[in-house]
Amino acid sequence: MYSIETKSLSKSFGDLKAVDDISFNVESGEIFGFLGPNGAGKSTTMMILTTLLKPTSGQALVSGFDVMTQPKKVRQNIGFVQQESTVDEYLSGRENLLLQARLNHIPKELIAQRIDEVLELIELSDKQNDAVVTYSGGMRKRLDIAGGLLHRPKVLFLDEPTVGLDIQTRRKIWEYIKKIHKEFDMTLFLSTHYMEEADQLCDRIGIIDGGKIQVIDTPQNMKSAMGNEVISLTIENDKNEKAFLSALEKIELIKKINQDPNKITLFASKGTEVIPKIFQISSDLNIKINSISLTQPTLDDVFISYTGHEIKGDDAGFNRKREHAKMKRLRA
Amino acid sequence: MNSLMYDTYTIFWRELKRYKKSRSGVLIRLIQPAIWIIVVGNTFSGTQPLIQSVGFEGKYIEFMAPGVIILTAIFTSIFGGVNTLWDRRYGFMNKALTSPISRSSIALGKMSAISLIAAMQASLILGISLAIGVTFPNPIMIVPIMAIVILFSLGFSGISVVVAATAKSQETFWGVINFLGMPLFMLSPALFPLELLPDWLASVARLNPVTYAVLLVREMMTGVSEGGVSTILSIGVIVVFVLIMVGLASYVFTREVNKPF
Repeated sequence: MYSIETKSLSKSFGDLKAVDDISFNVESGEIFGFLGPNGAGKSTTMMILTTLLKPTSGQALVSGFDVMTQPKKVRQNIGFVQQESTVDEYLSGRENLLLQARLNHIPKELIAQRIDEVLELIELSDKQNDAVVTYSGGMRKRLDIAGGLLHRPKVLFLDEPTVGLDIQTRRKIWEYIKKIHKEFDMTLFLSTHYMEEADQLCDRIGIIDGGKIQVIDTPQNMKSAMGNEVISLTIENDKNEKAFLSALEKIELIKKINQDPNKITLFASKGTEVIPKIFQISSDLNIKINSISLTQPTLDDVFISYTGHEIKGDDAGFNRKREHAKMKRLRA
Repeated sequence: MNSLMYDTYTIFWRELKRYKKSRSGVLIRLIQPAIWIIVVGNTFSGTQPLIQSVGFEGKYIEFMAPGVIILTAIFTSIFGGVNTLWDRRYGFMNKALTSPISRSSIALGKMSAISLIAAMQASLILGISLAIGVTFPNPIMIVPIMAIVILFSLGFSGISVVVAATAKSQETFWGVINFLGMPLFMLSPALFPLELLPDWLASVARLNPVTYAVLLVREMMTGVSEGGVSTILSIGVIVVFVLIMVGLASYVFTREVNKPF
């Protein structure tokens, strides 16, 4: 049984196709990640799946219910942790959870026990009666996540769960997410533009760019499809560069070559055997190699190979403006 | 139906919690009506003969105190919906919208909280007016007065929620609200008897629900009815106004929040 099924899902804002004919399935109990740069369509897809936006065309089922025709059923089965913190600052942590529990119709007699339970899980029990305004960014995020969990939804959506947090806090949040997944056995659907996050957490990843899904696979498969090793080298500017590249292409162990103005990236299996061959070719052609390195492929490399560009940096301000402009267009 | 009430209460509870935590605002919001009642009430004390000509025995300040109570209710409730804009901006709205509660319960919860807050503010103004010498023939009347203020504020909070749900920015909200609030107050017998208004103004005032709220509260406070408007008619107008606003606010709110912000 699939937790999430989409068929040719599309969403346009005027001329802009934010989500362009995407189809994918997420299995029950899986951690599935949407990886893509800002403005790729991750948030829009998530808003459709959480019934906040209606798709322009296509179909989406969450926990077996259609987001268009059975939104209430969908809402009963999901939790949604948004990118921005949505807790009420002047309420205490516990009061925020109480509000969340009531919003999600948790039976009265279970509320106190559930709140204690999640407070324990996210290690905020001792701060539960302090106003949220005194919490740090990481604590607020934990409280947000706890709110999404309280009613034990079948599917929990996490929109960029660690954006804007420092690296230690980010790792801590990952631990909580893993713990939650183990404890409650729910399907997690998260979006992120951090490679490391997707790599650390997800069973499978969908790379999304320009509103389209480029590839869906496990992080491991994605990396090994590229060859097991990445060789980066820089050479002196030379008119023989073309000949050098075409000679490299003839090496069988090299699966893919990416060329930037000042860097050549080779994806290869058995990199240690490839390097001597590269030196052989370069000395034949009289090309000077300035530097060479052999590394394991990362999801960054995978991303570049599928989309042809690097994922953009942590640029949340820019993102918000762009999303805003998108929404404005829809309103007009 | 049961779950609509439960959900409405959930939102109501949250709004009141937030209000309680921002207590400093309570006093600030009282300053303006207090100035009205103290300054305007005394500025126009010379109009006492005019007031008496339509049947009021007391001082001008006693005549206009009910008007200021309604003024407080109008402005507290018509400003009250502004946090809808914050909720949409900061994600609380999306949180509520992805939970199984119904959309109209969000509007209704907000409105009931606003009207209770407005009534609390109005009761403080009532206290101030008693303190500065307004007398009250029948103290038990405070109960129906508060009931009228709550009911009337519920209608006005509907206006606020409709404007807030439709407006996409703070600027639009405040522009529209100021455009509505002051004329609605001025075009009523809050400061001057209905009988003494020029005919055309009196006719306009009769179309304004504020007029009936003022007349009702004034009748309860001073025991004098005015303008040939019966109590039943006043209550009827207010009830119809409130029902329309509750229905309209739930409808508009539900429609608007389904659009992206």
